[in-house]
Amino acid sequence: MYLSVNWIKDWVKLPKDITPQQLAHDLTMSTVEVEEVIDQAASLENIVVGKIKEITKHPQADRLQVCQVSLGNKEAQIVCGGDNLANGMLVAVAKVGSKVRWHGEGDWITLEDVKIRGVKSAGMIAAASEIGLGNLFASKSEKEILDLSKFNLKVGENLASALGLDDFIIDVDNKSINHRPDLWGQYGLAREIAAIYRTKLKDYDVAAIKGKEDIKLKVNVKDKDKCFRYLALAIKNITVGPSPWWLQTRLQSVGIRPINNIVDVTNFVMYELGQPMHAFDAGQIDKNQIEIKTAKKGEKFVTLDGEKRKLAEDYLMIADGKKYVALAGIMGGQNSEINSDTKDIILESANFKAANIRRTSTALGLRSESSARFEKSLDPVIAEYAIKKATELILELNKEAQIASKLVDIDNNPFTEVNLKIEEKLINDRFGVVIPQKEIQDILTRLQFGVKYKDGNFDVKVPSFRATKDISIPEDLVEEVARIYGYDNIQAGLPRATIQEPTIDVALRAVKDIRYWLSCAQSHVEVYNYPFANLAWTEKLGLEIKNHIKVSNSFSPELQYLNTSLLTNLFARAEDNLRFFDQVKIFELDRVFDKHEKSVYAVDHGKKKFLPKQDKHLAGVVAANLPAEIAFLQVKGLVEDLQKHWGIDWTWESVDLAHSNLAYQIKHQDVVLGHCGILKSNLLDSGAKQTQATWWEFNFSQLVKYINQNQFYQAISKFPSIDRDIALLVDKDIQWVDLEVEIYKVSSLIVAVDPFDIFTGKGVPAGKKSLAFHITLRSPEKTLESEDADLLVKEIVSILSKKFKAIHRK
Amino acid sequence: MEKNLKNLANKVAKELEEVKDSKFLADLKTKYLGRKGELAIILKGLKDLSVSEKPRVGQLANEVKKELTIIFNKAERVWQGQDSDDLDFDPTLPGDKKEQGHIHPSTIVQYEIEDAFSKMGFNIYDGPQLESDYYNFTALNIPEDHPARDTQDTFWVEGKNLLRTHTSNLQVRMLEKHGAPFRGIFPGRVFRYESTDASHDHTFYQLEGLMVDKDINIGNLIATMKTLLSAVFKTDVDVRLRPGFFPFVEPGFEMDIKCLVCEGEGCSVCKQSGWLELMPCGMVHPKVLEAAGVDSKEYSGFAFGLGLTRMTMMKYRIDDIRLLQSGDLRFLKQF
Repeated sequence: MYLSVNWIKDWVKLPKDITPQQLAHDLTMSTVEVEEVIDQAASLENIVVGKIKEITKHPQADRLQVCQVSLGNKEAQIVCGGDNLANGMLVAVAKVGSKVRWHGEGDWITLEDVKIRGVKSAGMIAAASEIGLGNLFASKSEKEILDLSKFNLKVGENLASALGLDDFIIDVDNKSINHRPDLWGQYGLAREIAAIYRTKLKDYDVAAIKGKEDIKLKVNVKDKDKCFRYLALAIKNITVGPSPWWLQTRLQSVGIRPINNIVDVTNFVMYELGQPMHAFDAGQIDKNQIEIKTAKKGEKFVTLDGEKRKLAEDYLMIADGKKYVALAGIMGGQNSEINSDTKDIILESANFKAANIRRTSTALGLRSESSARFEKSLDPVIAEYAIKKATELILELNKEAQIASKLVDIDNNPFTEVNLKIEEKLINDRFGVVIPQKEIQDILTRLQFGVKYKDGNFDVKVPSFRATKDISIPEDLVEEVARIYGYDNIQAGLPRATIQEPTIDVALRAVKDIRYWLSCAQSHVEVYNYPFANLAWTEKLGLEIKNHIKVSNSFSPELQYLNTSLLTNLFARAEDNLRFFDQVKIFELDRVFDKHEKSVYAVDHGKKKFLPKQDKHLAGVVAANLPAEIAFLQVKGLVEDLQKHWGIDWTWESVDLAHSNLAYQIKHQDVVLGHCGILKSNLLDSGAKQTQATWWEFNFSQLVKYINQNQFYQAISKFPSIDRDIALLVDKDIQWVDLEVEIYKVSSLIVAVDPFDIFTGKGVPAGKKSLAFHITLRSPEKTLESEDADLLVKEIVSILSKKFKAIHRK
Repeated sequence: MEKNLKNLANKVAKELEEVKDSKFLADLKTKYLGRKGELAIILKGLKDLSVSEKPRVGQLANEVKKELTIIFNKAERVWQGQDSDDLDFDPTLPGDKKEQGHIHPSTIVQYEIEDAFSKMGFNIYDGPQLESDYYNFTALNIPEDHPARDTQDTFWVEGKNLLRTHTSNLQVRMLEKHGAPFRGIFPGRVFRYESTDASHDHTFYQLEGLMVDKDINIGNLIATMKTLLSAVFKTDVDVRLRPGFFPFVEPGFEMDIKCLVCEGEGCSVCKQSGWLELMPCGMVHPKVLEAAGVDSKEYSGFAFGLGLTRMTMMKYRIDDIRLLQSGDLRFLKQF
């Protein structure tokens, strides 16, 4: 919403010394958010009114003329290509230093002193669009320069002040007036300004309408629950033509292109009062009959922007005896639009149900200035002011025009008077500072609330323009008082609060712990990804799309499905990074979404339905140029470390996964906690690099349930340990885990068994491998002797020889 | 004897670990390789071996001697000059680089802020990201057809649910669960249906705060935020309130922070205004309290929605929001 400072001044006297910037600041602090203050004249700086004295042909160019132009106290020579130049013409001269846009397009350029084809030119004679006035002055051709002769202007004067284009515009953020239907017009903002500065607001006086019976208007509101008020009036003998200059500049100030003296009036009223209006060509309205009713599904209607719209059954329409003529409150129809031949008009000023307008305009994807206002819940009372004001203006601009009908008013205003009782104490309690009772009363009165005070209570009557939904509870009045009193006056003080029981969420603590552990102990980098599935990787990992929750209004394929695994994005990020790094180690912790299972989160207060499950997952990917064995043992090591870190009791189980050469699932009894594995090498695109990718993913929400909260210290042994190394030759396909089990069985004195050297090839017979391991022996009761160790080694070797045909290498 | 020879290298290696200076090392060398050292003593036994064993063990002994000599030579190089004050190396060489992991910058900022809030008695809570219309909108006094829904463009998902547009979705959930009085923060991921550019992303992070108790007023909100922000920014900060409209608070505010770059003088960062928009906040709307079953006559409260992503960008002067979720290690390894 644009606020025009000049326009506001019609209604409220601003205190002296208030600059537009100060006004914007004060509005920001008390009422709305201001985006920026626009100085209209700034764009017309160094552009003045000039008068053409003499025109000669350019000696070097056929299409150019050399003009001597009077700028009042001096003359300038300007080369110009305009096709409507004439002696004595008043023109806009953009002097050196002014800003123009060639043909009204592209960037603004600062003019310099130049020679054009050898002839000096001090500035330019501008076309309207070149100085940003294309909205106000239509031109027939690109070469037509702006002819100001019709205005009574002083030569040499600044164009901005000469044309009344020296307004300041305050751009109000629409978001900040969503809840204030009264602020969608200049008058409502003027009311706020008057309240802020304690100055007087002029009453919005409008003349009564003396109805005639030349045209018998019949209005029938069929859907009273969607049309709260409908006022209509016929006016005859209109001459459609351009609006007077003052009206055009007002519209220009708030960013509206002037069209004609009827449409401009309805727009003017909308921007002044916030009430949208519509004017029909009465000649196109069958039998002067207007019906307000809902559409039928499948019907079509062409709005005045030329679009054919498909209607649905709850759309509210304006119809005449035969056809639809407007999409109520959103846009008029092409069939009854005002045109240059229009003689008689029917003015409409109505009030429609906000929710219906909003639903219809959203469904059609058709937002207009009108629908934007109606959907905020306008006050039906204003509709009457609007039609009276518009009538007044139309009659003023069309000397021949006459009222031709009675003012029809079908009033089904559902909004009742809002009276609130508010304790003085509530205002002061919420504010945290005592505001004198008189001050409270004064502020509310300035905002046009009716106020009576008795025994610590205010009886407040809410004005109708605030009573459609905006102000409904006492707390709303706290805000009204506080914002005008000034938030700066609040005493900041820390609250006195009840000591609360600390809720320490084990899972959240685990989140923090694991992020630090993975980055510090495992050198992994934490990444954040979007919640959406990477489609290529979803396919590569064999995750079925039908198991993913679909985004219903996605605007891109990559934002279409919610992830069921963090790995899809992690693998994609690994690929991205391999372009810059030889090794990638990344992890992520966030929620994934399960289409088929229910979560613990209820859908609503009733707690009968539940949202889809959205457990947190923890996953990591490592990509590096390593032999598969090392890569796998690294990921296995990480998972084992994690197990130790949290003391979780789990088992490994080999699983077949199509995307991985080797994969395990990790289980606590029957509960699957996670998986890890080594990816098939052709799946990861690592460019020219040789890369092995390993991965692991846990259901973190499950995992944290099994964290061992009772991990106790183990006494440090009083007796030293003895180490022994054993080297064996065994069959190549004998697995370490089987040997390990047997070794531990030999004696309880064995506290650790650790393989350190495994090799095949030179010196090792075919089909065999050499395997060396340390064993650590310790007794809790005594210091072991070397002989004890030797004996055990012998026993181990003998058992392994027996069970695995192992040969001891000495 | 063979076994003793083989063990010798292991023994030496162990003892070398104990070496503290070059004197110790020299003694150790004498102990093993000296004329009366351990190797010499073992070798004396050679003469007692059978003819068939002699060559083999002799060769082994030579190998061991060679190995030990190498070990000692290496150790001597390491310890050379170590106990003199003349350091014979280039100290300007770069230090050893260990492989590092990194925490995401948003995580760092989140935990910093969480710490400050925890110290003021705010508990930390977490909840669903895929949310129902009820908890994201309706319970927060944003019924269907409310124009405020426009300002929060929403990703809808099948089943008439949505991706939460703000962490405010936990206000009613948490109040229902824990009741009043209540003091908590809810950091987390939120979503808006909008296209991305350097300053907008459809996925970002907020930190919601909610305090409900008896006699909570606007002054309490200002003081709490001022205190917390001073802790987070590690300098005294100034804040101001101005009107802002959010259906779940009444009154509603925008809180601005005095520009930390120019200290309120006006600069390009604050667009010459001296203030930066920081967060929406306000006094909890009675309807929200009632939706959660809290008596709005007895209790009042304040709520605020801090932009975690924004704070992260401010702290590290990150000029493109998209970097945060790019997974780009060139970026993430800086934190």
